[in-house]
Amino acid sequence: MLNETYDVLIIGSGHAGGMAARILTEYGIRCIMLNAGPVADVAHDAERKPAFELPYRGFRPPGRLEHVFQSNEFNANVWVDEQEVPYTFEPNQPYNWVRVRLFGGRSLFWSRQSFRLSDYEFKAKSHDGFGEDWPISYADLAPYYSRVEGIFRVSGALDGPPQMPNGNFILDDAPWTSAMQRLIDVARPRGIPVCKQRSAQGRDGLASSVNLLLPDAEMTGKLTSIANAVVREITVDKNTGLPNGCNFVDRLSHREMTVKARVVVLAAGTLESTRLLLNSNLANSSGLVGRYLMDQIYGAGIVCSVPEARNGRSKGVMGSYAIIPRFRNIDTKSDKFLRGYAFNTTAGTGPLGARNFAAYGAELQRKMDEYYGSGFYMTIVGEVIGRYENHVRIDKTRNDAWGIPVLHVDTRYGDNEFNMARDAVDTASELAQAAGFEILSRNDKPNPPGYSIHEVGTCRMGNDPKKSVLNKFSQSHDHKNLFVVDGAQFTSAGWQNPTMTILSLSMRASEYLAGEMLRQNI
Amino acid sequence: MRRRDFVRGVLAVGAAPKLLLGQQAANPAPPPPAPVPWLLGLNSKTPIPAVEAGDQVAIAELRFFSPQQIATLTRLSDVLMPPMGEKPGAVQAQTPMFLDFLIGSSPEERKQVYSEGLDWLDGEAKKKFNLEFCKLTDTQAAELLQPWLRTWMSDHPPTESHADFINIAHDDIRTATVNSKAWFVVPEVGAEPRTSEELYWSPIEPDISEFNADCNNVPPHVQAAPKSGHPMPTYPR
Repeated sequence: MLNETYDVLIIGSGHAGGMAARILTEYGIRCIMLNAGPVADVAHDAERKPAFELPYRGFRPPGRLEHVFQSNEFNANVWVDEQEVPYTFEPNQPYNWVRVRLFGGRSLFWSRQSFRLSDYEFKAKSHDGFGEDWPISYADLAPYYSRVEGIFRVSGALDGPPQMPNGNFILDDAPWTSAMQRLIDVARPRGIPVCKQRSAQGRDGLASSVNLLLPDAEMTGKLTSIANAVVREITVDKNTGLPNGCNFVDRLSHREMTVKARVVVLAAGTLESTRLLLNSNLANSSGLVGRYLMDQIYGAGIVCSVPEARNGRSKGVMGSYAIIPRFRNIDTKSDKFLRGYAFNTTAGTGPLGARNFAAYGAELQRKMDEYYGSGFYMTIVGEVIGRYENHVRIDKTRNDAWGIPVLHVDTRYGDNEFNMARDAVDTASELAQAAGFEILSRNDKPNPPGYSIHEVGTCRMGNDPKKSVLNKFSQSHDHKNLFVVDGAQFTSAGWQNPTMTILSLSMRASEYLAGEMLRQNI
Repeated sequence: MRRRDFVRGVLAVGAAPKLLLGQQAANPAPPPPAPVPWLLGLNSKTPIPAVEAGDQVAIAELRFFSPQQIATLTRLSDVLMPPMGEKPGAVQAQTPMFLDFLIGSSPEERKQVYSEGLDWLDGEAKKKFNLEFCKLTDTQAAELLQPWLRTWMSDHPPTESHADFINIAHDDIRTATVNSKAWFVVPEVGAEPRTSEELYWSPIEPDISEFNADCNNVPPHVQAAPKSGHPMPTYPR
């Protein structure tokens, strides 16, 4: 209906926006959802092809997506194009901003690892004195985690130490394979826990906003969605000073349009939500919008081979996945870095890549035949600590394809991150050697910031309006009808993949919002 | 319907009126509205033409490397990935000419790794054996290459000079060869690497505003028959 004022405007359709839509519409609240990209229909937009049918034989199309290491020629068209929506950074501190604007956003492509934060994260400052505590504790969020895990059907075992709380899991009681058991045996005396991986099973192999959250919202009849709506700015009511909708531009026709709503919920993904707030000059009385950008260190780790599994004997030896939750700075204290890291640990059954052997030609093929199915991988997921100077701001000199000012990302890893990566590789090597694995290659250099696609922070939550952007319900300290429900609200990053926490925070904020709206406080 | 197909259809209509008028003069009966009946034959049962990967049958033009550099790269490809068993080698898979295309389209930094690397390798061969690299035997080439081979993890190739070129080129040569049609058509034995076969995503509704300005002035066209795989419309005859 034209000129209709909706109850809630939700910007973004990924995990955060999808959850907000699902919860709010269940309460009978009428929502309008805007998404910057089109609806992806795999039956229409994608088809299975061999690499030689593509012009670049599967290589990433040269010059495109330089900062999306995850891209190749098959998937090049699903990522946001760096020319269409550019961002800037100093040449000596590159940032990998990995974005998807299809309906459902990055929830279509995430790795589905599903962890809870613990009070080692929520109350990190109380534990080690650095940064700020979150305004909530684990107990506040635990019930929401349980509900989210139910919706996403998370598999795992109840084997977590206090720094990795157990949840509402589909129980994984498969026995460990012998290679992983050997790692467990050498890790335990060193005080390093090895636990079953925790992974969202979803439905039909997909654990996304588009199949787990949006259908329920649509079923209520209370959700209206617009695709290809690139939001330019949030609009403000002249009389009250409160946000009252947004101006957007149609991605395809460049036609300008407006929607009105009583409440605005930002769920565009950490940096896009922040970019919108900065471009709209909103919610920034603290001056902290854009500050404390964090993510997680990826890229460092080791590749090993398990000798017993070579020459086709991998059955029973290989084929397990483990998570080694953070173990540094829990009971002990490292003098090299704060916080800690986890290891994604895989005893693989497939081929080992050629780059793990310093050989070529026939000799290389002999090695690859022999080592097939014996690959053992340990790679870091390390917490990046929140620093004021790691920030984003608007670059007034550049616009994207729709004339919207772009983001300048000014962030770098420091000693804490580099020391952590070195410690991780040394520790992994020590464990592997003790377990009798052959180390084939190792790397202690983190990938550029952003690579993990776990960017969080820039609108941190807190109790003090001078030291945070949002309150404990993800609500702006400045405008009571403005919420940010995605990763931007994180006060600290943790080592855990952030998706379960984003979903739980969005669920909690949305229920609070629904309650306030029903009581007519908003 | 794909938006760009629609645009193409809309643009094509510009040429149509003259044709239609010509027909009218010869035949007083009004012409049938588009789509003309033969388009109805385009349906899911219509056979799709079989096509070949272009660079497996046609001759590509050298556009980036110098003749000397491509000679060095060809020999290097043959040494690093010779034909083994039934599988073709890099040269049989037209990898050197493919890399000329790929590297030639790439950013300056990548171009530099290759052109400087190839020149350096040729220089080393001349220094050590007084021969161009392309004339070296396998043993001579091995003597030059072995010291620079490294193991490395994804996204972190060696950064040390010369080792960077050798290892990056090795990786590219392997990927290009394994992903060629020549490799694909020979069945794998044992742990031989497989050609990547993945879900390819077409551009999804690309921004057409550039074209819009013009086609907005063209009157809307009768919708063309949808592509195969979609339900067929019925037309009164």
